[in-house]
Amino acid sequence: MTKLTNDFLANENVRRAEISIRMSQFEIPPMQDVLLVGKRAPIGAEAVRRMVDAVSPEQYEIIRMEHEIFEAAVLRRSLVKLVPQEKLMKIILEEGERVAVQDSVIKAQVNIVIQITRGVDL
Amino acid sequence: MSKISKIMNGELVTVNIADPVSRVVDLMENFRIGGLPVVEQEQLVGIITSRDVRRSHPNRLVADAMSRKVVTIRPDCSLWDAKELLEEYGIERLVVAEEERPVGIVTKSRVYAEIGKHMDALTGLNRAQYLQRKASELLCEGKEIVFIFIDMDNFGMIDKRLGHAVGDEILTSVAKLLNSLVEDGTDFLCRYAGDEFAVLTTRPLEEAKQLAWKMISAIEEANWSGGIIVTGSAGIAGGRRKGIRSDINETYTIADLINMASLSSTKAKKEKKRVLVAEQMEIEHRVTPDI
Repeated sequence: MTKLTNDFLANENVRRAEISIRMSQFEIPPMQDVLLVGKRAPIGAEAVRRMVDAVSPEQYEIIRMEHEIFEAAVLRRSLVKLVPQEKLMKIILEEGERVAVQDSVIKAQVNIVIQITRGVDL
Repeated sequence: MSKISKIMNGELVTVNIADPVSRVVDLMENFRIGGLPVVEQEQLVGIITSRDVRRSHPNRLVADAMSRKVVTIRPDCSLWDAKELLEEYGIERLVVAEEERPVGIVTKSRVYAEIGKHMDALTGLNRAQYLQRKASELLCEGKEIVFIFIDMDNFGMIDKRLGHAVGDEILTSVAKLLNSLVEDGTDFLCRYAGDEFAVLTTRPLEEAKQLAWKMISAIEEANWSGGIIVTGSAGIAGGRRKGIRSDINETYTIADLINMASLSSTKAKKEKKRVLVAEQMEIEHRVTPDI
């Protein structure tokens, strides 16, 4: 047995702290493709707008809404280039409603694959 | 006339739109207030109340917890304007603002307490001051006004013979009777003094005359306990507008009309005519020169 273990066993009242550190890259922007902001979430639509403007200016659209659970959504503008906003938001809200409550802020990753088949005359 | 500027709390505590809700909580606790105007670059942009605070996470920005619909009132408005706004919107406080800049706040309880000073405790009717204010407002709106002045006959004798308690009961009943005959938004009733009541109305003179007759008849025909005979006499004065309004002239005009209606009621009482219309007068308005 080591001296430390002996000391520990000898005195059960010794208090120790163990420190572990996990480091990773902070994502910018931190909200991926979509953020759904609950009506009673710790952050509201205006705060989200200010945050988005600060970290990723002109890349996101803030959509304020009258909804049972959410007061706003943040949507990456490039997604709207692929699918119309109304269609995308309808799907996102339908799925968001299933997992969120008014206190939640939900971030979502959205992958859109467009399948194209074109023919040419031979 | 009581203006909002005289009763408002001018030591205004405001919050910035970007402050956290937790700061609002601290301010509300420290100053014991239930609502704070929200400003952005000194301009009024919203209001945050204790109710908003209870429903919001303390981390939130004021901008995300406040109400953007703020009902404001100018400092030169009257107590009754404030009362109407508070009742119309069902709110507890009004922000006093000048050109979108908040200068004070006034609560419902403060407005009501102040208005209470202008209400007759016995009958619950407004006092004469209310009628003058309302008349001025109607003239500003370009409406024609008529005053009906109702004077109880020999009321001093009732007080002397039956006592003031009975006299007070009769006055309360007369007030209820008259109140049941007036129409909201058209007729404005007040206890003018002692045993005198007055109605300001926007009805045409002929209709006002009919209302006066109804009132006098209702008093006479009421079933007074102990078989007491209670009667009243009414004087009517109405004016036709002419020219451009001047505030100074307007005050005199209103005073003149009330005086004429009052004198007519005295004459009606003396001559036992019950209802008498004062000679019709034209309301002259002094033309204010442009500066």
